[in-house]
Amino acid sequence: MSTTMLEGEASANPAESPWAVETHGLTKRFGDNVAVNDVELLVPRGCAFGYLGPNGAGKTTLIRVLLGLTHADAGTMSLLGQPVPRHRDVALARVGAIVDEPRFHGHLTGRQNLMMLAAAREPAAKDRIDESLERVGMAHRANDRVSKYSMGMRQRLGVAACLLGDPQLLILDEPMNGLDPAGMHEMRDMILSLVSEGRTVMLSSHLLDEVERTCDAVAIVDNGKVIRQGPISELLAGASVEVNVECSTPERARTILAATPLGAQIEVETSGLSIHLAAGTGRDAIAEINRLLVEDGIAVYRLQEIQVSLESWFLQVTSRLGESA
Amino acid sequence: MTSVPSTATSTARVATSSSGDARDHRGSWIPTGGMIATRIMELRKRRGLMAALIVVNIGIPAIFLLIRLIMHAAAPKTYGPAGGYDVFSQLAGFVMYVFGFIVAATLGCTAGSVDLTEGMFRHLVITGRSRLALYFARIPAGLAIIVPMVAVGFTIVCAVCVFAAPTKLYYPGVNVPAGQSLAGFESWAAQHPKVAICGLPYRVNPNGNGNGSGKKTTINVPCFIDQRGNIVVPPGTSGFKNISSATQKSFAIAIAKEDYSAYSKLFLYPSNKLMIQTGLWLELEAAIGFIVGLGLASLMGQRTVPVVLMIVLEIVLTPIFSRNVINHLLNVQRGLVGLATAHLEPGGLPSAFGAGNGPAGAPQLVPESTTVAVCVVIGWVVVWTALGAWRMSKRDA
Repeated sequence: MSTTMLEGEASANPAESPWAVETHGLTKRFGDNVAVNDVELLVPRGCAFGYLGPNGAGKTTLIRVLLGLTHADAGTMSLLGQPVPRHRDVALARVGAIVDEPRFHGHLTGRQNLMMLAAAREPAAKDRIDESLERVGMAHRANDRVSKYSMGMRQRLGVAACLLGDPQLLILDEPMNGLDPAGMHEMRDMILSLVSEGRTVMLSSHLLDEVERTCDAVAIVDNGKVIRQGPISELLAGASVEVNVECSTPERARTILAATPLGAQIEVETSGLSIHLAAGTGRDAIAEINRLLVEDGIAVYRLQEIQVSLESWFLQVTSRLGESA
Repeated sequence: MTSVPSTATSTARVATSSSGDARDHRGSWIPTGGMIATRIMELRKRRGLMAALIVVNIGIPAIFLLIRLIMHAAAPKTYGPAGGYDVFSQLAGFVMYVFGFIVAATLGCTAGSVDLTEGMFRHLVITGRSRLALYFARIPAGLAIIVPMVAVGFTIVCAVCVFAAPTKLYYPGVNVPAGQSLAGFESWAAQHPKVAICGLPYRVNPNGNGNGSGKKTTINVPCFIDQRGNIVVPPGTSGFKNISSATQKSFAIAIAKEDYSAYSKLFLYPSNKLMIQTGLWLELEAAIGFIVGLGLASLMGQRTVPVVLMIVLEIVLTPIFSRNVINHLLNVQRGLVGLATAHLEPGGLPSAFGAGNGPAGAPQLVPESTTVAVCVVIGWVVVWTALGAWRMSKRDA
């Protein structure tokens, strides 16, 4: 597990802080169980940030601590440059969040629930109710009772509630839960549009494919601890490279490549080779493989670099890899 | 070291100030008008709860009085008037007092727990609003519902008890004019000496001085008045044969004078002062029920158990501990809010919880001064509010 160095401290002027979320040594225990373990997290402003981890890794607990829903046992944190819980009221004024499954008063309509939440925010929040409902596609059902809503509709209403405060930071815990494919697509577009407006969206999820499509950067959490964080492109660049080669004589090809200083792990398959190059290997190594095989008279029918997905990388770095091995 | 370049500076659509609206004091413990208004809406939209509140505070007294009005209109000689002091005291002193407390407590328990149980508390906390403000918004909201409801029910009771009150006090066989002065009452007795001697429900104190002259008032005429208004003298007795007309008048006047104090306390309808005092007393009782229920439910984080506890407190514990002095627990008994409010009851009503006036009747209320009663009421309101607010501010959302 690598450690990520912290970059910068909270700015004196909260608005100038480069971080939407910043935690240092954040710890939360439930008895002997450490749900959040010395977390160092930096979420840059103005991007979609994925917070990934297997079930029970402590994703929701961290979000609850950040939002003041439960207290931290140790560490410091700030939202939008404002230290919390000291300036919790100021920080949360521009934060919207969904934590766990969004639940509302079932006997009230969606609009009435939003009225309750808007009343707890600044006076201008009341004027954003219609706009928020429109944006999440719930305007036509706004006057129905929430008890008649589907899970997906409650999820949308939760997002609408987030937008009431014109937030700079949205923290969404599993926002795709309960959404059908079309709904997931709309949610993804909405998150991207929110980011394009300059808002920061912190997305907690275990849907790696969705996170890869939506987010610019991620943090991987396992057993309560952040084990990797950074831009997805940089993180994937640090993963090992897999190359599939289809050739005339796989055994001979393996012998040739094993004698080279490429340092590759080579497996012989029915129609060719599967080659694993070490992390950080450049693309020139692939061309070198091709050259070596051709010069030795081996016919190369196909040579393909397998793109590393976030999922495979995630499995490499989390304890799930160990479980599946 | 890994980092993602911030893109916030490249966009200007989102305000960069994190302080929000300048008028926004969301760290303050004082709730806004909007918070209170939406909380009223949230409670008001609970149809089942509102129906229960209306039925108990308005429906039961209204239906009871309506039935009495209909029965009296249909058979006035069989069924007495719908209104009057007796009806008022029974409705206000028992039905509205006990059940008003219970439904107010139910409303308080609901207001104190539903945000938590229905998952809304988390959304509200995330707004950054002070948790204390979230709690305190419930108090005026709940009172804005329960106070008018009690007022409406009580107004109906007062209206019927005043406008449908009997025009004269009626006892089997005797119609006694009401609202008489002492002289008027004596004059009526002098004009109807046999009726006064045989029919008045008041009994002359055998040791009393009827006319203040030092002579003992002794009337030894065995008689009564039947349902038809006839004076009945038991066979074998002389009745009034040996008593002169002047003596009969004298006896009747003596009876009237002796019993005027009891007579004068029997109202045809409750006085304005009594109605105002009773109304305020019922509102106090309902407010206490709501605030205590709110604090208890907020402390426990649920509704059902606190409602049951409040019912047990009002129906079982308070009546028992208010009427029976337990020497070692006397001060604990005095700490009961139900006993305290019973001691604040207006003087014209029958004692709360069926307490009597002494050894001859039901046991008296456990003694307590008005000052102590007021302190106990204030203590309950403050302590339960503090406990509820504290739990809400510390609870995991």
